[in-house]
Amino acid sequence: MILEHEVPLNLQFQPEKKVLDEGIAKAKATLLNDIKRSIYLYRVDCGGCNGCEIEIFSSITPVFDVERFGIKNTPSPRHADILVYTGAMTRSMRMPAIRAYQGAPDPKLVVSYGACGCTGGIFHDNYCVWGGTDKLFPVDVYIPGCPPSPPQTIYGFAIALGLLGQKLHHSELVEGADEHVTFRYEDIPYKMRVAFERKARLYAGYRTGLELAEEFMEVLRVEGSGSLKEVDALIARQADPRRAEVLTQLKTELNMLLNGLDETPRPLLEQASSFGV
Amino acid sequence: MLKTLKEIIRTGDATVKYPFAPIERPKDARGKPEHDLANCMACGACAVACPPNAIQMVIDSRAQSTSWSINYGRCVYCGRCEEVCPTKAIRLSTEFELAVMDKNDLEEICMYSLQSCTECGSPFAPAKEVDYAYRILTQFVDDPDARQAAELVKVCPRCKQKRDSQRAKQNFESLGGVS
Repeated sequence: MILEHEVPLNLQFQPEKKVLDEGIAKAKATLLNDIKRSIYLYRVDCGGCNGCEIEIFSSITPVFDVERFGIKNTPSPRHADILVYTGAMTRSMRMPAIRAYQGAPDPKLVVSYGACGCTGGIFHDNYCVWGGTDKLFPVDVYIPGCPPSPPQTIYGFAIALGLLGQKLHHSELVEGADEHVTFRYEDIPYKMRVAFERKARLYAGYRTGLELAEEFMEVLRVEGSGSLKEVDALIARQADPRRAEVLTQLKTELNMLLNGLDETPRPLLEQASSFGV
Repeated sequence: MLKTLKEIIRTGDATVKYPFAPIERPKDARGKPEHDLANCMACGACAVACPPNAIQMVIDSRAQSTSWSINYGRCVYCGRCEEVCPTKAIRLSTEFELAVMDKNDLEEICMYSLQSCTECGSPFAPAKEVDYAYRILTQFVDDPDARQAAELVKVCPRCKQKRDSQRAKQNFESLGGVS
Protein backbone atom coordinates (compact mmCIF):
# COMPACT_ATOMS: atom_id res chain seq x y z
CA MET A 1 0.00 0.00 0.00
CA ILE A 2 2.83 2.38 0.84
CA LEU A 3 4.33 3.86 -2.31
CA GLU A 4 8.10 3.91 -2.02
CA HIS A 5 9.05 6.12 -4.95
CA GLU A 6 7.50 7.69 -8.00
CA VAL A 7 10.09 5.97 -10.21
CA PRO A 8 9.02 2.49 -11.40
CA LEU A 9 10.56 -0.37 -9.43
CA ASN A 10 12.44 -1.87 -12.40
CA LEU A 11 14.36 1.40 -12.84
CA GLN A 12 15.42 1.55 -9.21
CA PHE A 13 18.49 -0.14 -7.81
CA GLN A 14 17.47 -3.05 -5.61
CA PRO A 15 20.07 -4.08 -3.03
CA GLU A 16 20.58 -7.76 -2.39
CA LYS A 17 19.13 -8.86 0.91
CA LYS A 18 21.01 -11.25 3.19
CA VAL A 19 19.11 -14.47 3.82
CA LEU A 20 19.52 -16.45 7.03
CA ASP A 21 20.69 -20.08 6.81
CA GLU A 22 18.32 -22.60 8.28
CA GLY A 23 20.89 -23.70 10.82
CA ILE A 24 21.54 -20.17 11.98
CA ALA A 25 17.83 -19.45 12.26
CA LYS A 26 17.45 -22.54 14.44
CA ALA A 27 20.43 -21.56 16.59
CA LYS A 28 18.94 -18.12 17.02
CA ALA A 29 15.61 -19.50 18.22
CA THR A 30 17.41 -21.74 20.73
CA LEU A 31 19.57 -18.88 21.94
CA LEU A 32 16.54 -16.67 22.53
CA ASN A 33 14.80 -19.43 24.46
CA ASP A 34 17.56 -19.94 26.92
CA ILE A 35 19.89 -17.02 27.10
CA LYS A 36 21.89 -17.11 30.30
CA ARG A 37 24.33 -14.25 30.01
CA SER A 38 24.62 -10.54 29.27
CA ILE A 39 23.73 -9.25 25.84
CA TYR A 40 26.32 -7.13 24.10
CA LEU A 41 25.15 -4.50 21.72
CA TYR A 42 26.86 -2.86 18.78
CA ARG A 43 25.43 0.25 17.19
CA VAL A 44 25.80 1.22 13.52
CA ASP A 45 24.71 4.62 12.27
CA CYS A 46 23.87 4.22 8.60
CA GLY A 47 22.95 7.82 7.91
CA GLY A 48 20.72 9.27 10.58
CA CYS A 49 20.65 12.62 12.32
CA ASN A 50 22.31 11.38 15.56
CA GLY A 51 19.07 11.81 17.51
CA CYS A 52 18.78 8.03 17.91
CA GLU A 53 22.35 7.79 19.28
CA ILE A 54 21.55 10.42 21.88
CA GLU A 55 18.52 8.42 22.98
CA ILE A 56 20.49 5.16 23.07
CA PHE A 57 23.05 6.79 25.34
CA SER A 58 20.39 8.35 27.52
CA SER A 59 18.93 4.88 28.02
CA ILE A 60 22.20 3.75 29.60
CA THR A 61 22.14 6.64 32.09
CA PRO A 62 21.30 5.83 35.75
CA VAL A 63 17.64 6.82 35.28
CA PHE A 64 16.81 4.19 32.64
CA ASP A 65 19.90 2.01 33.03
CA VAL A 66 19.56 -0.81 30.50
CA GLU A 67 22.78 -2.26 31.94
CA ARG A 68 20.71 -3.67 34.78
CA PHE A 69 19.42 -6.21 32.24
CA GLY A 70 22.99 -6.95 31.18
CA ILE A 71 22.68 -5.01 27.91
CA LYS A 72 26.07 -3.45 27.34
CA ASN A 73 27.31 -1.23 24.57
CA THR A 74 30.41 -2.71 22.99
CA PRO A 75 32.94 -0.99 20.72
CA SER A 76 33.41 -3.93 18.34
CA PRO A 77 30.92 -5.97 16.29
CA ARG A 78 33.04 -9.07 17.10
CA HIS A 79 31.67 -9.00 20.64
CA ALA A 80 28.10 -8.16 19.71
CA ASP A 81 24.94 -10.23 20.12
CA ILE A 82 22.64 -7.46 19.00
CA LEU A 83 23.34 -5.13 16.09
CA VAL A 84 21.40 -1.90 16.33
CA TYR A 85 21.07 -0.10 13.01
CA THR A 86 20.04 3.53 13.31
CA GLY A 87 19.33 5.87 10.44
CA ALA A 88 18.15 5.16 6.92
CA MET A 89 20.20 2.73 4.83
CA THR A 90 22.22 5.03 2.60
CA ARG A 91 24.37 4.13 -0.35
CA SER A 92 27.59 5.48 1.18
CA MET A 93 27.16 3.63 4.48
CA ARG A 94 26.25 0.27 2.99
CA MET A 95 29.78 -1.16 3.27
CA PRO A 96 30.29 -0.34 6.99
CA ALA A 97 26.80 -1.74 7.64
CA ILE A 98 27.56 -4.97 5.77
CA ARG A 99 31.00 -5.32 7.41
CA ALA A 100 29.48 -4.93 10.86
CA TYR A 101 26.90 -7.58 9.98
CA GLN A 102 29.57 -9.94 8.70
CA GLY A 103 31.82 -9.19 11.68
CA ALA A 104 29.26 -10.09 14.33
CA PRO A 105 29.24 -13.78 15.23
CA ASP A 106 26.11 -15.84 14.53
CA PRO A 107 23.50 -16.15 15.96
CA LYS A 108 22.90 -12.41 16.21
CA LEU A 109 19.85 -10.21 16.50
CA VAL A 110 19.33 -7.23 14.21
CA VAL A 111 17.34 -4.29 15.54
CA SER A 112 16.04 -1.47 13.35
CA TYR A 113 16.11 1.60 15.53
CA GLY A 114 14.09 4.75 14.89
CA ALA A 115 11.76 5.80 12.08
CA CYS A 116 14.64 5.98 9.58
CA GLY A 117 15.89 2.51 10.51
CA CYS A 118 12.41 1.03 10.16
CA THR A 119 11.29 2.45 6.82
CA GLY A 120 13.60 5.28 5.84
CA GLY A 121 11.52 7.74 7.87
CA ILE A 122 11.45 11.33 6.72
CA PHE A 123 14.35 10.62 4.35
CA HIS A 124 12.52 7.74 2.64
CA ASP A 125 12.39 9.42 -0.78
CA ASN A 126 15.91 10.87 -0.72
CA TYR A 127 18.08 10.05 -3.71
CA CYS A 128 20.76 8.23 -1.74
CA VAL A 129 18.42 6.37 0.62
CA TRP A 130 17.59 2.75 -0.04
CA GLY A 131 15.01 2.53 2.73
CA GLY A 132 15.11 0.83 6.09
CA THR A 133 17.60 -1.68 7.48
CA ASP A 134 15.40 -4.52 6.17
CA LYS A 135 16.50 -3.72 2.61
CA LEU A 136 19.83 -5.38 3.42
CA PHE A 137 19.43 -7.61 6.48
CA PRO A 138 16.76 -9.79 8.05
CA VAL A 139 15.48 -7.62 10.93
CA ASP A 140 14.20 -9.12 14.18
CA VAL A 141 12.77 -6.10 15.95
CA TYR A 142 11.60 -2.73 14.69
CA ILE A 143 11.64 0.10 17.23
CA PRO A 144 9.78 3.07 15.72
CA GLY A 145 9.99 6.60 17.07
CA CYS A 146 11.72 9.78 16.01
CA PRO A 147 13.80 9.29 18.08
CA PRO A 148 12.53 6.44 20.28
CA SER A 149 12.49 7.57 23.90
CA PRO A 150 14.47 5.52 26.47
CA PRO A 151 11.34 3.64 27.71
CA GLN A 152 10.54 2.82 24.09
CA THR A 153 14.11 1.52 23.68
CA ILE A 154 13.82 -0.63 26.80
CA TYR A 155 10.50 -1.97 25.51
CA GLY A 156 12.07 -2.81 22.14
CA PHE A 157 14.95 -4.71 23.73
CA ALA A 158 12.51 -6.50 26.03
CA ILE A 159 10.63 -7.65 22.92
CA ALA A 160 13.86 -8.70 21.23
CA LEU A 161 14.78 -10.84 24.25
CA GLY A 162 11.27 -12.22 24.58
CA LEU A 163 10.59 -10.62 27.98
CA LEU A 164 7.46 -8.74 26.86
CA GLY A 165 4.90 -9.35 24.15
CA GLN A 166 4.20 -6.87 21.35
CA LYS A 167 1.13 -4.66 21.59
CA LEU A 168 0.74 -3.24 18.10
CA HIS A 169 -0.82 -5.40 15.39
CA HIS A 170 -1.68 -4.94 11.75
CA SER A 171 -5.23 -3.67 11.41
CA GLU A 172 -7.50 -3.27 8.43
CA LEU A 173 -10.70 -1.44 9.24
CA VAL A 174 -13.72 -0.64 7.10
CA GLU A 175 -16.11 2.23 7.80
CA GLY A 176 -19.53 1.25 9.11
CA ALA A 177 -22.55 1.44 6.85
CA ASP A 178 -24.32 4.82 6.94
CA GLU A 179 -21.78 6.25 9.34
CA HIS A 180 -21.78 10.02 9.94
CA VAL A 181 -19.12 12.26 11.40
CA THR A 182 -20.35 13.76 14.67
CA PHE A 183 -20.39 17.53 14.85
CA ARG A 184 -18.36 18.82 17.74
CA TYR A 185 -20.30 21.32 19.89
CA GLU A 186 -23.35 21.13 17.69
CA ASP A 187 -25.32 23.59 19.85
CA ILE A 188 -22.77 26.34 19.19
CA PRO A 189 -23.13 27.94 15.71
CA TYR A 190 -20.53 26.61 13.26
CA LYS A 191 -18.98 29.98 12.43
CA MET A 192 -18.73 30.90 16.11
CA ARG A 193 -17.00 27.63 16.95
CA VAL A 194 -14.53 28.14 14.10
CA ALA A 195 -13.87 31.71 15.29
CA PHE A 196 -13.13 30.53 18.85
CA GLU A 197 -10.84 27.76 17.71
CA ARG A 198 -9.00 29.99 15.29
CA LYS A 199 -8.42 32.68 17.89
CA ALA A 200 -7.34 30.27 20.62
CA ARG A 201 -4.93 28.53 18.25
CA LEU A 202 -3.49 31.86 17.14
CA TYR A 203 -2.63 32.71 20.74
CA ALA A 204 -1.70 29.36 22.25
CA GLY A 205 -0.78 26.99 19.41
CA TYR A 206 -2.85 24.15 18.04
CA ARG A 207 -2.75 21.80 20.98
CA THR A 208 -3.17 24.08 24.00
CA GLY A 209 -5.30 26.43 21.91
CA LEU A 210 -7.76 23.70 21.07
CA GLU A 211 -7.78 22.57 24.69
CA LEU A 212 -8.63 26.12 25.83
CA ALA A 213 -11.28 26.61 23.16
CA GLU A 214 -12.89 23.32 24.16
CA GLU A 215 -12.84 24.30 27.82
CA PHE A 216 -14.45 27.63 26.90
CA MET A 217 -17.17 26.07 24.75
CA GLU A 218 -17.81 23.42 27.38
CA VAL A 219 -18.66 26.24 29.81
CA LEU A 220 -20.80 28.06 27.22
CA ARG A 221 -23.06 25.09 26.61
CA VAL A 222 -23.76 24.57 30.34
CA GLU A 223 -26.33 27.33 30.71
CA GLY A 224 -28.15 29.67 28.37
CA SER A 225 -28.38 33.02 30.15
CA GLY A 226 -25.91 32.82 33.00
CA SER A 227 -23.11 31.50 30.80
CA LEU A 228 -21.12 34.74 30.79
CA LYS A 229 -20.87 34.48 34.56
CA GLU A 230 -19.60 30.95 34.11
CA VAL A 231 -16.99 32.24 31.67
CA ASP A 232 -15.82 34.82 34.23
CA ALA A 233 -15.60 32.06 36.83
CA LEU A 234 -13.55 29.95 34.42
CA ILE A 235 -11.13 32.83 33.81
CA ALA A 236 -10.83 33.48 37.57
CA ARG A 237 -10.09 29.78 38.15
CA GLN A 238 -7.00 29.78 35.92
CA ALA A 239 -3.72 29.59 37.82
CA ASP A 240 -1.69 30.35 34.70
CA PRO A 241 -2.02 34.00 33.56
CA ARG A 242 -1.37 33.01 29.94
CA ARG A 243 -4.37 30.70 29.90
CA ALA A 244 -6.48 33.41 31.55
CA GLU A 245 -5.39 35.88 28.86
CA VAL A 246 -6.40 33.56 26.01
CA LEU A 247 -9.77 32.87 27.65
CA THR A 248 -10.31 36.63 28.12
CA GLN A 249 -9.65 37.12 24.42
CA LEU A 250 -12.19 34.38 23.66
CA LYS A 251 -14.71 36.21 25.83
CA THR A 252 -14.07 39.42 23.88
CA GLU A 253 -14.62 37.46 20.70
CA LEU A 254 -17.89 36.10 22.07
CA ASN A 255 -19.08 39.59 23.01
CA MET A 256 -18.13 40.84 19.58
CA LEU A 257 -20.00 38.06 17.81
CA LEU A 258 -23.10 38.42 20.01
CA ASN A 259 -23.41 42.20 19.95
CA GLY A 260 -21.84 42.86 16.58
CA LEU A 261 -19.42 45.30 18.19
CA ASP A 262 -16.51 46.73 16.27
CA GLU A 263 -13.20 45.09 16.87
CA THR A 264 -11.71 46.40 20.09
CA PRO A 265 -8.00 47.12 19.92
CA ARG A 266 -6.06 43.99 20.77
CA PRO A 267 -2.33 44.65 21.03
CA LEU A 268 -1.35 40.97 20.98
CA LEU A 269 -3.24 40.30 17.78
CA GLU A 270 -1.68 43.34 16.14
CA GLN A 271 1.73 42.08 17.12
CA ALA A 272 0.90 38.73 15.62
CA SER A 273 -0.35 40.21 12.37
CA SER A 274 2.78 42.33 12.03
CA PHE A 275 4.71 39.05 11.90
CA GLY A 276 2.53 37.91 9.04
CA VAL A 277 0.44 35.42 11.04
CA MET B 1 31.91 6.44 55.07
CA LEU B 2 28.85 6.86 57.25
CA LYS B 3 28.24 10.21 55.61
CA THR B 4 28.31 8.62 52.15
CA LEU B 5 25.93 5.88 53.22
CA LYS B 6 23.57 8.44 54.68
CA GLU B 7 23.66 10.41 51.45
CA ILE B 8 22.92 7.26 49.44
CA ILE B 9 19.92 6.41 51.62
CA ARG B 10 18.66 9.98 51.47
CA THR B 11 18.90 10.14 47.66
CA GLY B 12 17.15 6.82 47.14
CA ASP B 13 16.87 4.92 43.87
CA ALA B 14 16.95 7.07 40.75
CA THR B 15 16.36 4.25 38.26
CA VAL B 16 12.84 3.82 36.90
CA LYS B 17 11.13 0.47 37.39
CA TYR B 18 9.84 0.61 33.83
CA PRO B 19 9.57 -2.81 32.21
CA PHE B 20 8.35 -4.29 35.50
CA ALA B 21 6.04 -1.41 36.42
CA PRO B 22 4.23 1.10 34.19
CA ILE B 23 6.08 4.36 33.60
CA GLU B 24 4.47 7.75 34.04
CA ARG B 25 4.48 9.78 30.83
CA PRO B 26 4.12 13.57 30.62
CA LYS B 27 0.64 14.76 29.60
CA ASP B 28 1.72 16.05 26.20
CA ALA B 29 4.32 13.39 25.41
CA ARG B 30 4.32 12.61 21.71
CA GLY B 31 3.29 9.01 21.15
CA LYS B 32 1.22 6.94 18.77
CA PRO B 33 -1.29 8.99 16.74
CA GLU B 34 -4.69 7.52 17.59
CA HIS B 35 -7.02 7.50 14.62
CA ASP B 36 -10.77 7.44 15.16
CA LEU B 37 -12.35 5.64 12.21
CA ALA B 38 -15.89 6.79 13.01
CA ASN B 39 -15.03 10.51 13.12
CA CYS B 40 -12.63 10.52 10.19
CA MET B 41 -14.21 11.68 6.93
CA ALA B 42 -11.23 10.74 4.73
CA CYS B 43 -10.71 14.32 3.53
CA GLY B 44 -6.97 13.70 3.20
CA ALA B 45 -5.80 16.84 5.02
CA CYS B 46 -3.49 14.74 7.19
CA ALA B 47 -2.06 12.90 4.19
CA VAL B 48 -1.19 16.26 2.60
CA ALA B 49 0.32 17.64 5.80
CA CYS B 50 2.32 14.55 6.82
CA PRO B 51 6.04 15.43 6.29
CA PRO B 52 7.40 11.84 5.98
CA ASN B 53 4.31 10.55 4.06
CA ALA B 54 3.51 8.14 6.89
CA ILE B 55 -0.16 8.81 6.22
CA GLN B 56 -1.17 8.01 2.68
CA MET B 57 -4.44 7.85 0.80
CA VAL B 58 -4.95 5.73 -2.28
CA ILE B 59 -8.13 6.00 -4.34
CA ASP B 60 -9.43 2.86 -6.03
CA SER B 61 -12.14 4.21 -8.32
CA ARG B 62 -13.00 0.76 -9.70
CA ALA B 63 -13.87 -0.55 -6.24
CA GLN B 64 -15.41 2.86 -5.40
CA SER B 65 -13.35 3.08 -2.26
CA THR B 66 -10.45 5.04 -0.85
CA SER B 67 -7.97 3.74 1.67
CA TRP B 68 -6.40 5.74 4.46
CA SER B 69 -3.24 4.17 5.84
CA ILE B 70 -0.68 5.09 8.44
CA ASN B 71 2.72 3.52 8.89
CA TYR B 72 3.86 3.97 12.50
CA GLY B 73 7.35 2.97 11.42
CA ARG B 74 7.65 6.07 9.31
CA CYS B 75 5.79 8.50 11.55
CA VAL B 76 7.96 11.18 13.17
CA TYR B 77 5.31 12.14 15.77
CA CYS B 78 5.28 15.81 14.72
CA GLY B 79 1.52 16.20 15.24
CA ARG B 80 0.85 17.98 11.96
CA CYS B 81 -2.04 15.57 11.28
CA GLU B 82 -3.60 16.53 14.60
CA GLU B 83 -3.15 20.20 13.74
CA VAL B 84 -4.93 20.04 10.39
CA CYS B 85 -7.69 17.52 11.15
CA PRO B 86 -11.04 19.36 10.80
CA THR B 87 -13.00 16.78 12.80
CA LYS B 88 -10.26 16.05 15.39
CA ALA B 89 -10.32 12.39 14.41
CA ILE B 90 -6.57 11.96 14.91
CA ARG B 91 -4.69 12.90 18.05
CA LEU B 92 -1.28 12.01 19.40
CA SER B 93 -1.60 9.81 22.46
CA THR B 94 1.12 9.08 24.99
CA GLU B 95 1.25 5.42 23.93
CA PHE B 96 4.91 4.55 23.26
CA GLU B 97 5.06 0.73 23.26
CA LEU B 98 5.19 0.37 19.49
CA ALA B 99 8.10 -1.98 18.88
CA VAL B 100 7.17 -4.98 16.72
CA MET B 101 8.75 -8.15 15.34
CA ASP B 102 7.01 -7.96 11.96
CA LYS B 103 7.01 -4.88 9.77
CA ASN B 104 3.39 -5.40 8.67
CA ASP B 105 2.24 -4.81 12.22
CA LEU B 106 3.31 -1.18 11.95
CA GLU B 107 0.59 -0.44 9.42
CA GLU B 108 -3.04 0.50 9.92
CA ILE B 109 -5.41 0.66 6.96
CA CYS B 110 -8.95 2.08 6.93
CA MET B 111 -11.31 1.83 3.98
CA TYR B 112 -13.89 4.48 3.06
CA SER B 113 -16.50 4.44 0.33
CA LEU B 114 -16.66 7.07 -2.41
CA GLN B 115 -19.63 9.23 -3.37
CA SER B 116 -20.87 8.80 -6.92
CA CYS B 117 -21.87 11.85 -8.92
CA THR B 118 -25.65 12.10 -9.26
CA GLU B 119 -25.31 13.14 -12.92
CA CYS B 120 -22.54 11.08 -14.50
CA GLY B 121 -22.27 8.34 -11.88
CA SER B 122 -18.49 8.43 -11.49
CA PRO B 123 -17.06 8.44 -7.93
CA PHE B 124 -15.35 11.71 -7.00
CA ALA B 125 -14.98 12.21 -3.21
CA PRO B 126 -15.36 10.22 0.02
CA ALA B 127 -19.05 9.84 0.88
CA LYS B 128 -18.55 10.91 4.48
CA GLU B 129 -16.79 14.10 3.42
CA VAL B 130 -19.64 15.00 1.05
CA ASP B 131 -22.16 14.28 3.80
CA TYR B 132 -20.22 16.47 6.27
CA ALA B 133 -20.07 19.36 3.77
CA TYR B 134 -23.79 19.04 3.08
CA ARG B 135 -24.66 19.14 6.76
CA ILE B 136 -22.55 22.26 7.31
CA LEU B 137 -23.98 24.02 4.25
CA THR B 138 -27.58 23.35 5.28
CA GLN B 139 -26.90 25.18 8.57
CA PHE B 140 -26.64 28.50 6.72
CA VAL B 141 -30.31 28.89 5.84
CA ASP B 142 -30.11 32.60 4.95
CA ASP B 143 -27.14 32.34 2.62
CA PRO B 144 -28.18 31.84 -1.07
CA ASP B 145 -24.65 30.77 -2.06
CA ALA B 146 -24.63 28.06 0.62
CA ARG B 147 -28.07 26.91 -0.51
CA GLN B 148 -26.89 26.56 -4.09
CA ALA B 149 -23.72 24.76 -2.99
CA ALA B 150 -25.80 22.36 -0.88
CA GLU B 151 -27.92 21.51 -3.93
CA LEU B 152 -24.84 20.70 -6.00
CA VAL B 153 -22.87 18.94 -3.30
CA LYS B 154 -23.29 15.48 -4.81
CA VAL B 155 -22.31 16.58 -8.30
CA CYS B 156 -18.72 16.03 -9.42
CA PRO B 157 -16.54 19.03 -10.40
CA ARG B 158 -16.64 18.11 -14.11
CA CYS B 159 -20.44 18.04 -14.20
CA LYS B 160 -20.53 21.33 -12.29
CA GLN B 161 -18.30 22.88 -14.95
CA LYS B 162 -20.58 21.52 -17.67
CA ARG B 163 -23.64 22.99 -15.95
CA ASP B 164 -21.93 26.37 -15.57
CA SER B 165 -20.93 26.51 -19.21
CA GLN B 166 -24.44 25.54 -20.36
CA ARG B 167 -25.95 28.25 -18.16
CA ALA B 168 -23.48 30.80 -19.50
CA LYS B 169 -24.41 29.81 -23.04
CA GLN B 170 -28.12 30.19 -22.28
CA ASN B 171 -27.56 33.62 -20.73
CA PHE B 172 -25.49 34.68 -23.69
CA GLU B 173 -28.17 33.58 -26.18
CA SER B 174 -31.01 35.15 -24.17
CA LEU B 175 -29.16 38.46 -24.38
CA GLY B 176 -29.25 38.10 -28.17
CA GLY B 177 -25.62 37.18 -28.62
CA VAL B 178 -24.32 35.68 -31.84
CA SER B 179 -23.76 31.95 -31.44
